[in-house]
Amino acid sequence: MYDVVIIGGGLSGLMASIWLADRGKKTALISKGDPMCCLSTGCIDVFGGTSSPLKGIEKPPRGHPYHFVGLEGIRDSLNFFKKIMAGSGLNYIGDIETNRGILTPLGTIKATCLVPQTMKAAYTGDNEYIHIVSFKGLKDFYPAYITSKNENAGYSVFDAGISTTVGLATRFEDTTFRREFVAKLKSWEIPNGRIAMPAVLGLSSSVEIMEAISNELDRKIFEIPTLPPSIPGIRLFRRLKYTLQQKGGDIYWGRDIASVERSDTQIEAVTIVTGSRPTRVEGRAFVLATGSFVSGGLYALRESVYETVFNLPVVFPKKRAKWFNEDFFDIGHPIEKAGIRVDRSFRPRHANLENLFVCGSILAFSNIMKYRCGNGMAIATGVAAAKSLDRWLG
Amino acid sequence: MINTDVIIIGGGTTGCGIARDLALRGIPHYLIERGDFAAGATGSCHGLLHSGARYVVTDPQAAKECISENLILRRIAEKCVEPTGGLFVRLPGDSKRFRDRFLKCCEDVGIPTDVLSPSRAIDLVPELNPMIEEAIKVPDCAIDPFRLCMLNAISSRQAGGGFLIHHEVIDIIKEKGRCVGIKAKEKFTSQIKVVRGKIIINATGAWGDKVAALGGSHVPLTLSKGSLIISNHRLTNMVINRLRPPSDGDIIVPNEAVCLAGTTSISVKDPDNIKVESHEIDTIATEVDHMIPKFGSTRMIRAYCGVRPLFASGVEDTRAISRGFRIIDHNNGLFSIIGGKLSTYRLMAEKMVDIIMTRFDKKVPCTTAQIPLDGQDELTGYPLSKRLKDMDDIICECELVTRADVEGVMNRIGTKYIEDIQHRTRLGMGPCQGGFCTYRALGVMQEMGRISPEDSIRILKTFLEGRFKGIRPALWGDQLREEQLVESIYLGILSMSSK
Repeated sequence: MYDVVIIGGGLSGLMASIWLADRGKKTALISKGDPMCCLSTGCIDVFGGTSSPLKGIEKPPRGHPYHFVGLEGIRDSLNFFKKIMAGSGLNYIGDIETNRGILTPLGTIKATCLVPQTMKAAYTGDNEYIHIVSFKGLKDFYPAYITSKNENAGYSVFDAGISTTVGLATRFEDTTFRREFVAKLKSWEIPNGRIAMPAVLGLSSSVEIMEAISNELDRKIFEIPTLPPSIPGIRLFRRLKYTLQQKGGDIYWGRDIASVERSDTQIEAVTIVTGSRPTRVEGRAFVLATGSFVSGGLYALRESVYETVFNLPVVFPKKRAKWFNEDFFDIGHPIEKAGIRVDRSFRPRHANLENLFVCGSILAFSNIMKYRCGNGMAIATGVAAAKSLDRWLG
Repeated sequence: MINTDVIIIGGGTTGCGIARDLALRGIPHYLIERGDFAAGATGSCHGLLHSGARYVVTDPQAAKECISENLILRRIAEKCVEPTGGLFVRLPGDSKRFRDRFLKCCEDVGIPTDVLSPSRAIDLVPELNPMIEEAIKVPDCAIDPFRLCMLNAISSRQAGGGFLIHHEVIDIIKEKGRCVGIKAKEKFTSQIKVVRGKIIINATGAWGDKVAALGGSHVPLTLSKGSLIISNHRLTNMVINRLRPPSDGDIIVPNEAVCLAGTTSISVKDPDNIKVESHEIDTIATEVDHMIPKFGSTRMIRAYCGVRPLFASGVEDTRAISRGFRIIDHNNGLFSIIGGKLSTYRLMAEKMVDIIMTRFDKKVPCTTAQIPLDGQDELTGYPLSKRLKDMDDIICECELVTRADVEGVMNRIGTKYIEDIQHRTRLGMGPCQGGFCTYRALGVMQEMGRISPEDSIRILKTFLEGRFKGIRPALWGDQLREEQLVESIYLGILSMSSK
């Protein structure tokens, strides 16, 4: 019997698990597979529409999950996140007061709150020369998109003999490969300024790799997040999963929930399928962090939307014709409000379940694309739901 | 300035068919098309080579033309046609009297039929509704309209015929009351080209009246929008029709790895301003579900619509208007050819060119029904095995299109248009609908120096907007998941905006 069973191994579920494991709770995390944060930039967007996330947080309407966490709660959760990451060699830079700009593969500037240390040097206001080093055959990265937007930028292409982001990141873990890479770059006599690279500087020791290359070349280096599979997203995910294991949390990976047992007011157990045999996982309390549509926490039929594990009540715009705005670029489609409505304790409303807590992008009215708050909201609500659950367990 | 004998406006099957017929009869010609080949109704139809059975009760003349052309096209356009055969299924409640008339009319017109018991029909198409009363087998086929246009264009080019694609006719030049040429504007550069000819053929389908107006003439058209939906799976290996008078959502056609289901019929005014409505998709999905119950739970990848250009006859219900075609002599050197069907394009071209030959006072008979289309030797049908051979550097994972394929098309036709690459390689036709590969293909075009990065971003934006219009009505289930992922990439990771 676990104290807490967390369903969903994304950023929100992992943060909730880590927080609870950190408090000495016996936790089990069940996940279907690699989460959405592996597809993200690895940066923590807290609120993208304003120069300061802190000022933006108040803006969304009343039902937005941020209002249930509160300003101090959000600040605490981000500090907790930074603390765990600092101890793990994947430092995050930034604070809730300011948004920073990071360069995207299209040459646009994306506003975000916390960035991995490998993207720190990207924050620009100046006009210093940027030299992009790309890799031959990399099909999701075309440096001319960036150089055409920045007069003071150039690029060269390195042939690493492999052209996937994961393959490249693996190569960068190898010191021999790095020596060849540095030697080649030195021979190019790149003009003074910063060096930018698609984010492939290693799978786990990115900061050391970046610093080593940076010292050799005597240049500042920064990474540009790429399209999925995104290495900074994978690093973030792996590091959190590792942290949870270090804190003694059990992990059931690649498992689907086959059935749920509930009493009048509580979830008692879930059954997962391991190989050919079902395993029953019992818990005193449960966390639902299965994400929205992309992650499979919600599923849309032609006329309705349902929640895939507990069949909790879901709010969604009634008419399918109105789920999406007419224009692709008109962000904030009504369907993005779909999700589970919770009360201030993060329990689902109208479900009569006292030991179930919900967090992350499955929460109703989160409108992640519109407010650009995906990873930030995952962390804030993950920690907040964990706190609420902890208070209930006592 | 270009001088020729016949100017054809419109690069659908009708225009391309006329070009080939003229080529085989030795008449110099030039074809002008606003988009790519098959950009209008040709490219947005069912891809169904009718046996004629669909029209046999309501329009026997059109049915007769269909069955005769069906047999010809199977022979001359072998590599564009998949002889799937078709079933007309009768569901509980469907009129038995209609069924009897249907069989009688098929016999009169000469469409071979075979009445199958439910179990025999289900042997042929296992996903059929087991509740069907019976099925009638007819020689319907699937046809690739884009390929059909291309192959017709190849014959034209081999005979010295010219074509301008991505050129919009903006004016018809008139001298002494006669139409003697056209002015066409290149879409990308806005450069104007002038083509002069003795006869001008307006084969622009739904745009027929707009183009005729440039020459001071009028074409009475009724425009009928039809919407279709593409499923991610090939749920049937045969064309499935509902055995009842033509109605909404009663045809499903297998096409390579997917199925096309439709249609609807809604009167519209402007062919440039049409879109698929969610309720049309619901209608189609509900109706098709009756024939193939699995359809409703299958992932939909896109919806699209086209406009049927029907000859205005004062009839209210657009489905009741004859699908036959008309040739209008505007008596000023301009002819309009309207109505008709994809299945009868060759016949339409033959009749049109017969008239042109009379005008030129030449007597060369039509041979398009005997000579197979040129360029088919290079085609291998559905070339999955060929595509699997070269797995390096895949740009489009859904359709296995490689970087070399993309570069090859660009070297061959020197295009600046992403659609041209999509049509010729199937790039972006799979489940993600170009969500990933368009960005890459544009990157490759940019690296080859064909387009600037600025143009490339502009094209990407236009593409994403257009793509969304096609996907939006079909967003539920897995397609909705994928769409939100695509959104998070372009609007999130890449931080794109419409500005």
